[in-house]
Amino acid sequence: MTRVNRLALPLVAAALLFAAGCSPARKETASRPAAAIVATYSVLGSVLGELVGDRIKVVTMIPNGLDVHEWEPSARDIEALTKAGLVVENGLGLEGGMGKALEQARRSGARFFTASDYIVVRKVGEGEGIPSGDPDQAIGADDPHIWTDPRAMKAVVAALAPEILKDFGIDVSGRAADLEGRLDALDAEIADETAALPEGSRKLVTGHESLGYFAQRYGFKLVGAVIPSLSTEAEGSAKDFKALEKLIAENGVKVVFTELGTPQKTVDALAREAGVRAVPLTTHSLPADGSYFSFERDLAGSIIGALK
Amino acid sequence: MLDFLVGPFAGNSFMANALLAGILVSVCCGIVGTFVVLRGLAFMGDALAHGALPGIAIALLLGLPGILGAAAGALAMVLGIGLITRRSNLGSDTAIGLLFVGMLALGVAIVSRSRSFSGDLVRILFGEILGIAPAEMALQFGATLAIGIATAVCYRPFLLLCFSPEQAETSGFPARVFHGIMLGMIALTVVVSFKTVGTMLVFGMLLAPAASAALFSRKVGTMMAAASLIGSLSTYLGLLASYYLDIAAGASIALAASAVFFVLLALTRLFRASRSRGSASEEAAHA
Amino acid sequence: MPEDRAASALETGSLSIGYGSEAIVSSLNLSLERGMSLALVGANGSGKTTLLKTIAGLLAPLSGSIMVLGSPPLALPERVAYMGQFHPTSFMLPLRAIDVIRMGRFAALGLFGKAGSVDEEAVEEAIEVMSLGPIAKQPLNALSGGQRQRVFLAQAVARRAELLLLDEPAAGMDASSRLGYRRYIEAAAARGVSSIIATHDIEEAAACDQALLLARKVVAYGSGREVLTASAVSETFGLVGRYEDGKLVVMEPDHGHCGGED
Repeated sequence: MTRVNRLALPLVAAALLFAAGCSPARKETASRPAAAIVATYSVLGSVLGELVGDRIKVVTMIPNGLDVHEWEPSARDIEALTKAGLVVENGLGLEGGMGKALEQARRSGARFFTASDYIVVRKVGEGEGIPSGDPDQAIGADDPHIWTDPRAMKAVVAALAPEILKDFGIDVSGRAADLEGRLDALDAEIADETAALPEGSRKLVTGHESLGYFAQRYGFKLVGAVIPSLSTEAEGSAKDFKALEKLIAENGVKVVFTELGTPQKTVDALAREAGVRAVPLTTHSLPADGSYFSFERDLAGSIIGALK
Repeated sequence: MLDFLVGPFAGNSFMANALLAGILVSVCCGIVGTFVVLRGLAFMGDALAHGALPGIAIALLLGLPGILGAAAGALAMVLGIGLITRRSNLGSDTAIGLLFVGMLALGVAIVSRSRSFSGDLVRILFGEILGIAPAEMALQFGATLAIGIATAVCYRPFLLLCFSPEQAETSGFPARVFHGIMLGMIALTVVVSFKTVGTMLVFGMLLAPAASAALFSRKVGTMMAAASLIGSLSTYLGLLASYYLDIAAGASIALAASAVFFVLLALTRLFRASRSRGSASEEAAHA
Repeated sequence: MPEDRAASALETGSLSIGYGSEAIVSSLNLSLERGMSLALVGANGSGKTTLLKTIAGLLAPLSGSIMVLGSPPLALPERVAYMGQFHPTSFMLPLRAIDVIRMGRFAALGLFGKAGSVDEEAVEEAIEVMSLGPIAKQPLNALSGGQRQRVFLAQAVARRAELLLLDEPAAGMDASSRLGYRRYIEAAAARGVSSIIATHDIEEAAACDQALLLARKVVAYGSGREVLTASAVSETFGLVGRYEDGKLVVMEPDHGHCGGED
């Protein structure tokens, strides 16, 4: 009988542990001291930081400069998420590598604010990217790159202030109003500059399809993406490359905008064969001063400068 | 000190869940891995792990549960190997090796069609034990229970198979039937564990703890228990390392399991060497 | 179906044995009574292991008929014990000698049978018969080749079968172990236990009731004494031998002499 005992013992132990583990997750109480707001990525974190100042601690998960779509959290990162006073995420599957971790945080009762809930979600349109047969890339998929449009960020800020009041009991409505004003000003500034560009020049070929909201707001046409998908991870095929070349020729495009993660070889080949110029853009990460405003100004400036 | 060792688990339910899931996997792998090591089925375990990948990839692409795909892939692999070994003797090693590569490449190719390609691939190969959900743990528990029961029932024929398939056969236990059950148990282990430690690492969890246990066990039952304990210890150490050093959890666990094996190997060698030196000097003293 | 108490240990009719489609030995007509012993004599590759495996039910006969204790091969695992040749892989097993011997009781116990005093006794008896008392609790990989062979034989003994199928049972044994083994076979025969033993030891073969000499064909079959003539042995092994003082003495290999000495 010892043989059966030996097998039974670890199984019984496991069963007991399992029963214990199934007990409901500990709920966060409203009176937890010094809780932080956890933002998933840097652009969102920067806007949050401007909103709350130093009244609440803001922690950004994905380090600035790393690929937002791919990054996966470590054990301690997950811990920070589950213990956050409020988790501010982008939504629409932007933070691809964090899926399970965000689920964990939800299960353990953390409060969530999803930025994309407060904006008008853009869908992938006709002629954007190259349909590569990938079911995820079908026309009509949600575009998660909401932060390139200052007005979208304004809507997010407007919704955040009451959320923060509710979760932390801290009133940042004054700061919110101020921030919204500055975002409006930024938007007007860019609108003016882009208006100066001739209609025919307003065409964007990008590293990957991340300028959808920018293009929509300021009247640009998206001609195609060198990585024809919404994320940096899928690699284009030879067929896609040829189709892109054709599009470039048809639209008289002179500049291809590259980003972090754009395959350099593909861009060089495109530059050689289609006679276009490659201009690097920073679309997912903040500049040295960590300001959203600098980020947006640099982005708009590079685009407009290249297309003049 | 205690806080250092226990804190991450006491303070985070996801860490505690990961530990529990890892223990369940360890018990499962400890039992099955014992037979894998004793019967020299490491090859087959590796085959099933490779075969699971394209199955999972296809299932995910079709929106089906990965587990069904893993089972289908493992089955396809076993059948493929059976076919090859039956048809040819010469070059069957090569053919099977190419089958491994083919399945792996097929899996990668299929996954590359998805929008979160590299993440998905890493997750399938190395698991996501930190993201384990209660439903997945229940599945793991069920599988571990099933394997425990199957082992208890088939203990005698399994033991005979390890000793000599001919003895199993002539003792009234058809070798093919029980070999098939054993393969089924390995397949079940691989298929269910891919969520926790991934298809590549589950193979390590099958081998390393059982191999460690083989170094000092004197009975098969002891070996299974020791393998389960060593696997659980590796899980604990791996999760601890993952937490404090910010390294991937699944890989940490497999690394810990391998490290434990080599440490035990060194220790048993030293122990045996000193014992034989001791007895040699005794003999010399008596001479 | 006639009550198989009376059935003979082995009956074959025009039996052909081999692997796949190629027959190694054909047209075997053997008949062994209960309580008798049959030696299968031949060099390696002569077919004796193949025949033993066919009787054990591990190989399918190619053609002809075969009945073991009145039933088809492998039908009576509790009553037939098979011991194959040396298995190198077993030695990695974390098993003690006594565990290996206990495995001999599995045939009688099946999957769920609870081990009882009968099984204990059988194991004790086997340990004594093979003089394994002092080393019974030692792990298998700590034993010498000869000791291991005794353990494997003890496993077969513990089965308390009515028919023993042994392939080179005394391989690697020293003289006293071999004596113990022969004594056991004789004592078992007195109790009605039959044995079929594959061996290339002429002396052992001569001690059996029947001998079948194989060299990929039947060289000779009949009572040990009659069949083991010098010329038959020479044909089987290519060895030269003759009887001296009633004992068969085998000498150097026959170097191409046709028919050999007589």
